[in-house]
Amino acid sequence: MENSTKEEYKIQSFDLETQKLLKTALKDPGSVDLEKVSNVIVDQSLKDQIFSREAGRICYTIIQAEAKQTNGNVFRRNLLNRLQQEFKAREETRKRSTQEWVCLVSFICNIFDYLKVNNIPMMALVHPVYDCLFRLAQSDALQNEEEVDCLVLQLHRIGDQLEKMNMQLMDELFNLLRDGFLLQEDLSSMGRLLLLEILEFRAGGWTLSETAQKYYYSEVTD
Amino acid sequence: MSAHQKYRYENDCKPDENRNKGASRWSHCRKRGADGSLRKSHAVEEPVKCSQSSRRPKSFTTPESEGPVSRVKNWGDEVEAEEMRSNVQRDMHRYRRRILEADFPQRDRKISSGSSDSRDSRDSKESSVKGDIETDEATLIRRQKQINYGKNTLAYDGYIKEVPKHMRQPGVHPKTPNKFKKYSRRSWDQQIKLWRVKLHAWDPPAEEGSDVQQIEVIDLGEIMDFELDVECSVDTESKCPTSSGVSLSLAEDSFTGTPKKVMKIEDTEMS
Repeated sequence: MENSTKEEYKIQSFDLETQKLLKTALKDPGSVDLEKVSNVIVDQSLKDQIFSREAGRICYTIIQAEAKQTNGNVFRRNLLNRLQQEFKAREETRKRSTQEWVCLVSFICNIFDYLKVNNIPMMALVHPVYDCLFRLAQSDALQNEEEVDCLVLQLHRIGDQLEKMNMQLMDELFNLLRDGFLLQEDLSSMGRLLLLEILEFRAGGWTLSETAQKYYYSEVTD
Repeated sequence: MSAHQKYRYENDCKPDENRNKGASRWSHCRKRGADGSLRKSHAVEEPVKCSQSSRRPKSFTTPESEGPVSRVKNWGDEVEAEEMRSNVQRDMHRYRRRILEADFPQRDRKISSGSSDSRDSRDSKESSVKGDIETDEATLIRRQKQINYGKNTLAYDGYIKEVPKHMRQPGVHPKTPNKFKKYSRRSWDQQIKLWRVKLHAWDPPAEEGSDVQQIEVIDLGEIMDFELDVECSVDTESKCPTSSGVSLSLAEDSFTGTPKKVMKIEDTEMS
């Protein structure tokens, strides 16, 4: 039970005391300081790449647990407001550390993916997510493989949902990506490959054809 | 890049965004803004400020004095508002389905011309409800919030545990007002008030008879906080907004002995 929780929510990177706090939050949210829990989770997701991509899950579970136990949404409110602060400061974060910036984007997108309101994505997050992706599609970011990688990862995971929420913005975003792929000279070949793949991915209705799958993802045998 | 700039501009002025409409419509009904400060009655909630506001032309914001606190919505509030709207829409669909289901048997009966009694009650139900249900979102949300305040009490919890729905006797047992029925504002507010008063009968620590735990919960505005301080600090987080909300929306809620008296009068009237 112990290890499966760790594995399920990817909390191995937290120190033991915090792991304990999180586990208690999952089972008995009413008994912990949920504001603290939300801060702990956001802090960690800005540092830990793996966690930033999966943190949505534990957040979702805590929210459900709190709603069931106390009918409250302290955790969600604190989480979102904290996230909003980080979002507002994203340009500085990007300047300071690409890794943190990339973690922030992953985290926001993961939250968007997991925290739905009556099974509908949170509308409040649509524009912020697009903002992040547009930033990643700027020429200075496209030069940077780490950022391109982040961008395509998010589009793989939540692209179709985002498109449903706002088709026009997705079109604009892909215009930028197309331009970048074709015109930007200082892209690495990996960067170009990633962009080409995502262009095909969307063109195929957010899925890769079999041949494309083979092209991009199978081992090259000589 | 021009596309991105165009995007920024769009992002700044989104006239047709659902959430903006929802935010401004909803906030009109609140006495206090998200931060607790009293809101001017004519103040209009501005659309969410894009964080890339450096280039944002001030011209299309509402001409209002400073106070970014009251204008900028935080994500926590926005999502709660979304959730409220979404819940109300879902409730409305369910309610409509329920009403339609009630109609179907009636159509069959028309042919066989059943007893006029059942037809009458259905007819009146149909005309009073089906054609005339409350659909204005702002009203439904306001009403739902008032209902939530009442349901978010220990009294209500105690009540539903004690009396299952099928055992409820009309008149004796409080019934949640139906937010989909058409009522005037005054009528609705009065129904809510009476409902809340009736619920007090199930307050946990009562004066006479039942277990004496701490103190009476009658003045919801004040005493709720106090009681929660004694009981469990965490509850304050979820219940506090409720109580402060209660004391705002039901101005006269601070009667101490009155509920009991009212209950007694009602009891005697019943018998």
